[in-house]
Amino acid sequence: MILAVLFANSVGNVLIERFNGVPAEERLHWRSFLVKLGAENLKGVKNEELLVACHKSVYIVYTMLGDVSIFLVGKDEYDELALAETMFIITAAVKDVCGKPPTERVFLDKYGRICLCLDEIVWNGLLENTDKDRIKRLIRMSFLDSLFYQIFNYLLLLLFDQTRINFL
Amino acid sequence: MAQPLVKKDDDHDDDLEFSPFMGIEKGAVLQEARVFNDPQLDPRRCSQVITKLLYLLNQGESFTKVEATEVFFSVTKLFQSKDTGLRRMVYLIIKELSPSADEVIIVTSSLMKDMNSKIDMYRANAIRVLCRIIDGTLLTQIERYLKQAIVDKNPVVSSAALVSGLHMLKTNPEIVKRWSNEVQEAVQSRAPLVQFHGLALLHQIRQNDRLAVSKLVGTLTRGAVRSPLAQCLLIRYSSQIIRDMSNHGQSGERPFYEFLEGCLRHKAEMVILEAARAITELDGVPRQDLAPAITVLQLFLSSPKPVLRFAAVRTLNKVAMTHPMAVTNCNIDMESLISDQNRSIATLAITTLLKTGNESSVERLMKQITNFMSDIADEFKIVVVEAIRSLCIKFPLKYRSLMNFLSNILREEGGFEYKRAIVDSIVTIIRDIPDAKENGLLHLCEFIEDCEFTYLSTQILHFLGIEGPNTSDPSKYIRYIYNRVHLENATVRAAAVCTLAKFGFMVEALKPRITVLLKRCIYDSDDEVRDRATLFLSVLGNDGLVDTEKDSIGFLFGSLEAPLVNLETSLKNYEPSEEAFDVDSVPKEVRSQPLAEKKAKDKKPTGLGAPPPAPVSGFDAYERLLSSIPEFASFGKLFKSSSPVELTEAETEYSVNVVKHIFKSHVVFQYNCTNTVPDQLLERVNVIVDASEAEEFSEVSSKPLNSLPYDSPGQAFVVFEKPEGVPAVGKFSNTLTFIVREVDQSTGEADDDGVEDEYQLEDHEIVSADYMVNVGVSNFRNAWENMVPENEIVDEYGIGPRDSLAEAVNAVTDLLGMQSCEGTETVASNARSHTCLLSGLYIGNVKVLVKAQFGMDSTKEIVMKLSVRAEDQSVSEAIHTLVSCG
Repeated sequence: MILAVLFANSVGNVLIERFNGVPAEERLHWRSFLVKLGAENLKGVKNEELLVACHKSVYIVYTMLGDVSIFLVGKDEYDELALAETMFIITAAVKDVCGKPPTERVFLDKYGRICLCLDEIVWNGLLENTDKDRIKRLIRMSFLDSLFYQIFNYLLLLLFDQTRINFL
Repeated sequence: MAQPLVKKDDDHDDDLEFSPFMGIEKGAVLQEARVFNDPQLDPRRCSQVITKLLYLLNQGESFTKVEATEVFFSVTKLFQSKDTGLRRMVYLIIKELSPSADEVIIVTSSLMKDMNSKIDMYRANAIRVLCRIIDGTLLTQIERYLKQAIVDKNPVVSSAALVSGLHMLKTNPEIVKRWSNEVQEAVQSRAPLVQFHGLALLHQIRQNDRLAVSKLVGTLTRGAVRSPLAQCLLIRYSSQIIRDMSNHGQSGERPFYEFLEGCLRHKAEMVILEAARAITELDGVPRQDLAPAITVLQLFLSSPKPVLRFAAVRTLNKVAMTHPMAVTNCNIDMESLISDQNRSIATLAITTLLKTGNESSVERLMKQITNFMSDIADEFKIVVVEAIRSLCIKFPLKYRSLMNFLSNILREEGGFEYKRAIVDSIVTIIRDIPDAKENGLLHLCEFIEDCEFTYLSTQILHFLGIEGPNTSDPSKYIRYIYNRVHLENATVRAAAVCTLAKFGFMVEALKPRITVLLKRCIYDSDDEVRDRATLFLSVLGNDGLVDTEKDSIGFLFGSLEAPLVNLETSLKNYEPSEEAFDVDSVPKEVRSQPLAEKKAKDKKPTGLGAPPPAPVSGFDAYERLLSSIPEFASFGKLFKSSSPVELTEAETEYSVNVVKHIFKSHVVFQYNCTNTVPDQLLERVNVIVDASEAEEFSEVSSKPLNSLPYDSPGQAFVVFEKPEGVPAVGKFSNTLTFIVREVDQSTGEADDDGVEDEYQLEDHEIVSADYMVNVGVSNFRNAWENMVPENEIVDEYGIGPRDSLAEAVNAVTDLLGMQSCEGTETVASNARSHTCLLSGLYIGNVKVLVKAQFGMDSTKEIVMKLSVRAEDQSVSEAIHTLVSCG
């Protein structure tokens, strides 16, 4: 069982959390434990470098992606290896949605889609989807969609620059 | 903070300042959610509002019942929109809102329509949402579609149905078990993910059928499994089968070992590690079979990926507990991991090295650990301290350097748990290595000079009181102890007074000086400290408060015979009256909840009528139950109640277990009966006991159970008389007799006509262990020395060949029914000799202590030297008779 998936920003504020089979009264403990673990160990860590810890009989795999730290907590069959596999899919999906390792702002901009990705990957504590292309299709982020999206952004930027030049 | 890979541009600062959710408020978002009701839906706007709702939920915000219902009903309107992106968001928010059973009905038809949609994403997600929100009744309605979905061509749909099956297996196992054929087909799928989920579900469905699981694994190990995740599952299932076979005595062959070894050459690292782990965890795996797995793990120790290093070192750490010599080849690789950035890896490496290292490398290791300790968290330090404790016991000659290390880290900053681990380690070393005593006690004395934890100070003072007086120069500890009386809080001061008194009593030369110190304590500001000082002065001055020296020893050094929990319960139950509280009335049995009753507690009432009464368990509960029955009132005080003995097999029509209650001259059998047939009501339930193989027992009376409805446990009793104080033994055959009446399940009414019937139960026995209460002692050595040596009887026994020493220790402990002391029930793996300390209270309240020394030779033949001391020599003899007959 994947007990928790947690995303936090660089100062330890929780952005997304999903708990499965963890009693409500224990969640606060886990939240603060994970954020502390991140604060102590994620300084200077490269993007997507996986760190691992164990606390009693549960395993924790965590990493940094842009400005966002991601934590996975699992037990029993979800040991460090299965969690690493899950983390690999989550980071790939988040990068796909954001187009790059996200800043906090970009992450929040794409919040809805990231929630959808997460819903496709981990459902009720079980790993469900591991194919990032399929996940992309399922949350309507097909290649054409993202291409149109990038062209649209580019045109907007050009327009903005043009307006600024005219203004000056 | 990590350096993001993105190029930092001018807009970056603005990004940080502005969040799309800045100033978000629940009330405002709920207002915005009204857009869901617009006749012209704006999908983009609706998606944004759902995102805000998700953000609120993820931030820990909770909706009231009314708010959640309102949002849910608004969201259902969004099914009108054809926008696929919005539909996907709708699925997610419905799952997050978790509508109640009466609300679900509004979306089921829309979701069932989506389940049959042409769009794959709709089909998959509709299944997921439905399975999350529906109950068993609705599940039967959609079962047909789910079966179709499992064999759907699209892997996403198939996976969704399979994972839903895994979730629903917990709530509706009967329904999911019917999908076996479809799941079997899914396991053969070409899509790796479908295969993975299919295998997991199929195994869950068949997990109670060993033969079916073995067949499934056998088929798949021969074929090609595409997904590495599925391959890992297969490895786990194979090793489970091997374990089951060895548990059932089918030793010798290991059917899937070749498969496991083959997986060591798999291309996926995850599979290799899983296979290596499975091989190392096999019972009794020979060294040559272990070698390939260890080699693979050794290679992973130098992997650049921390997860692989962690997995490898964690596995090796476990192997080191059972096969330390097999891991020694990896020591050099592991030493380089001591400086690993990841502290979990470093800690595991150190603890493994501490287990596998030899005597000559201890000093070098300690040096490396000293540098490492300063920059790790307390929880890691505790693990290291515990490993050092084990190392010290393993290499007693190295106690000096290890003790110095422990005393150094004791002086450093640290939390309570960490300090307690160090203190516990020092205490263990002092107890096990006599040479380390004086040095260790001084370290503890220095520690209490500056200890901020009251609990630890009192524990150390207590320990000093026991060990200090037996040292070569007890006077040197007095200064440290008396300082506590001046400098500490009342709890520590009171403990220090006790310790001083113990020194005064044990060391005659110190007595006058201790008396002076204690006299100063009678002016203490705290009542407890003054009371203790006064009491101990009386004891030391021998002013008639205690009769003999033996009483004084018992008073100062004796342990409380009854467990503290029992004392607390008895004190709570005591009502102030003329009659003083009697310590002897406190039950002495160590309470442990029987497994069978634990299970019963977890079982939710599913039967008709009122919920069943709470299961009766524990000595107190039995005592209360028996004292409430007038027929048993004259039997006197209950001596012991056994744990329940099952008289029926699991999952039979009637479940019966018996609890044996031992009184001075009576034995009461309490039969706990449960009727598991829903359409039957049992009446006049009685147990006919044949005691022809228990000659010393004669049946006195029985108390039948009037009515036993379905799933509502009840008790019947049968009473036997036996010679007073004699540990009579015998075998009893049992038959359950009753009148059975059919119950109409629709109305819940029983037929007027009943039929007499009987049901054969298993036999049960009264054995000698039933006359022994497992009472522990806190300090076995003191208790042993205080017992009269003349009553000691020593003899040797051949136990015969056994697989391990632990098996022999358990057999003897079970036979005697005594409490093992000081953790001696745990036998080190591969140990060839072991001493087990046992204590108990024999019928007639006679205290018994046993030292059982076991030894095993190369042919696994075990011999035991049994030394028994009891307050009565006849009891010592009885224990030996018991062992020789058992």
